[in-house]
Amino acid sequence: MSGLRLVTVGGMIAYRALFNWTRPALFIGTLFIGPLFQLLFFAYLGRQLRVGDDQFFLVGNAVLTASLACVFGGTMAVANERRFGTLGHVLLSPRSRTAIFWGRVLPYAGNGLLISVFTLTVASLMLGLSIPLSALPGLALAMAAGSLACGFFGLTLGALGLRFRDVFVISNVAVAVLLLLTGVNVPPGNLPQWMVVVGQGLPVTHAAEAARMLAAGRGLDAAAPAIGQELLVAAAYAVVAALLLKFFEAESRRRASLDTL
Amino acid sequence: MESDYAIEADGLRRSYRSRTGWLRPRLTTVDAVRGVDFTVRRGELFGLLGPNGAGKTTTIKMLNTLLIPTGGTARICGFDVEKQTREVRRRIGYVFGGDRGLYDRLSALDNLRYFAELYGVPARDQRRRIAELLDLVRLAGREQDRVEGYSRGMRQRLHIARGLLHAPEVLFLDEPSIGVDPVAARELRQTVANLAATGTTVLLTTHYMAEADELCDRIAVIADGRIQALGTPSELRSRADGRRVVEVEAYGVPDTALAALRDLPGVRETAVETRGTLQVLTVQSDAHVDVQSDVLRELAGIRLGRVDSREPTLEDAYVTIVNAS
Ligand SMILES: Nc1ncnc2c1ncn2[C@@H]1O[C@H](COP(=O)(O)OP(=O)(O)OP(=O)(O)O)[C@@H](O)[C@H]1O
Ligand SMILES: [Mg+2]
Repeated sequence: MSGLRLVTVGGMIAYRALFNWTRPALFIGTLFIGPLFQLLFFAYLGRQLRVGDDQFFLVGNAVLTASLACVFGGTMAVANERRFGTLGHVLLSPRSRTAIFWGRVLPYAGNGLLISVFTLTVASLMLGLSIPLSALPGLALAMAAGSLACGFFGLTLGALGLRFRDVFVISNVAVAVLLLLTGVNVPPGNLPQWMVVVGQGLPVTHAAEAARMLAAGRGLDAAAPAIGQELLVAAAYAVVAALLLKFFEAESRRRASLDTL
Repeated sequence: MESDYAIEADGLRRSYRSRTGWLRPRLTTVDAVRGVDFTVRRGELFGLLGPNGAGKTTTIKMLNTLLIPTGGTARICGFDVEKQTREVRRRIGYVFGGDRGLYDRLSALDNLRYFAELYGVPARDQRRRIAELLDLVRLAGREQDRVEGYSRGMRQRLHIARGLLHAPEVLFLDEPSIGVDPVAARELRQTVANLAATGTTVLLTTHYMAEADELCDRIAVIADGRIQALGTPSELRSRADGRRVVEVEAYGVPDTALAALRDLPGVRETAVETRGTLQVLTVQSDAHVDVQSDVLRELAGIRLGRVDSREPTLEDAYVTIVNAS
């Protein structure tokens, strides 16, 4: 019961404390407007090059638009402790680190879902893509899974940030890599095999695939395995992040390697 | 498993290894704490004094589980600080002097709400506990303001409130009065005294001798990572018994004059404290030798302020102990 509170209430306060883009202008500009134009850019580029139809680009990119908030958010959820010098005070908590840090991911995942829904809605209206009503619940599920996976992926990077000072460089690269390797803009058939393999282990890949099936009216039964795989990716990153956090904390007590105060 | 002692340190040691140089990295080792033993009874107010870099903060970080000792052991309320971290953390609070360590974008209230969650304050008690503490540190009325707009002293008071959230049995105060104005510092001393009176064990570090003298039941003076003296304030003061102190305010005293003072017959210690352009010279001598006229002769030609002859204080005893180490 109190563990649940730590995850939810604690996570929400931490979101406000550590996320750099909560001011309205930044929040809307960086997280909603920017990604919307990125989506439109790829949709028009796709039309021009006739690689895929509107639906291919629109739906896949809508899932991807969550990644900026989630990956950077997840990173900030740990790495920004360094900026405020609060890590030591957090580590003095007798409570579960896993609950503390997993809880921090949830608001970003919710934020990401909101962005995906927004960009998909606006872009569909602008480009005249119609999505069957019956597909909406499934789409929301796929997008939620994608956002969650991105958030835990970001948390993993954030955990690395305890050790490597300039972790936001990695986050920047990661966001660009997602653009290429998740198959959202380049169909997997056109990528070298190793990139496809890497893409399978990244967030968004499976969620975008599921979202496309749903938008094409193929039903939740068809999309469920892909959503399941996305959730598996989310769980894998959640575990890796928790292990890294545990490891770096133990190491910092031995080697005084974190600036804990 | 509960012990009679709140804090037990047994041969505590800690060294830091760090890599310096990039092209030709060298591993340097600093022995910050080199074998520290002491015990603190429950409800005792224990002071840890010592010069900069003496190892006070390092000692506290080993006791509060943030650092693992490289040697020796320590227990908090009977729980081992290396292995039983959860039990230890439930029982301790830590206040660290400084500007950082708070979430700047959040209000004081939200900072406290977050740490109340982290430090396991039950949900139903949080509101009351936070209100009490805001009152105690006199931030009530400002609790909705973002911390980024707080003055240094306000931050420091918020640090103190956070350290008390979960009503810890053992409280570590590492220079709590740094940056706090005199009135607030007096209130802080009162608060600390009240906490100790109601059974909280307090381990305090400070560079203000008067504060330590007023508050502490016992004091350990640490220098070079070792305890150089341990006792009640009056026991420590008695180390300067049989001495007399001449204090001179002066401007622009050359090092040669200082060296000359040290060599005067009967002089035991000299110390200089600089306050802006003003220097305050403290000359300790054997009580039966009157060195004042000798001191003034050595300082001839230098602009002087007030000259005073007095009984030694805890600070004089401290200087003696640290200089001897
Ligand atoms: N993280 C670290 N890495 C390397 N050396 C360190 C580290 N922290 C402290 N030291 C060294 O250990 C020694 C003791 O430092 P410590 O902070 O314990 O001193 P202190 O008694 O608290 O001093 P002050 O009164 O200035 O706060 C110093 O020589 C310091 O340079
Ligand atoms: Mg210190």
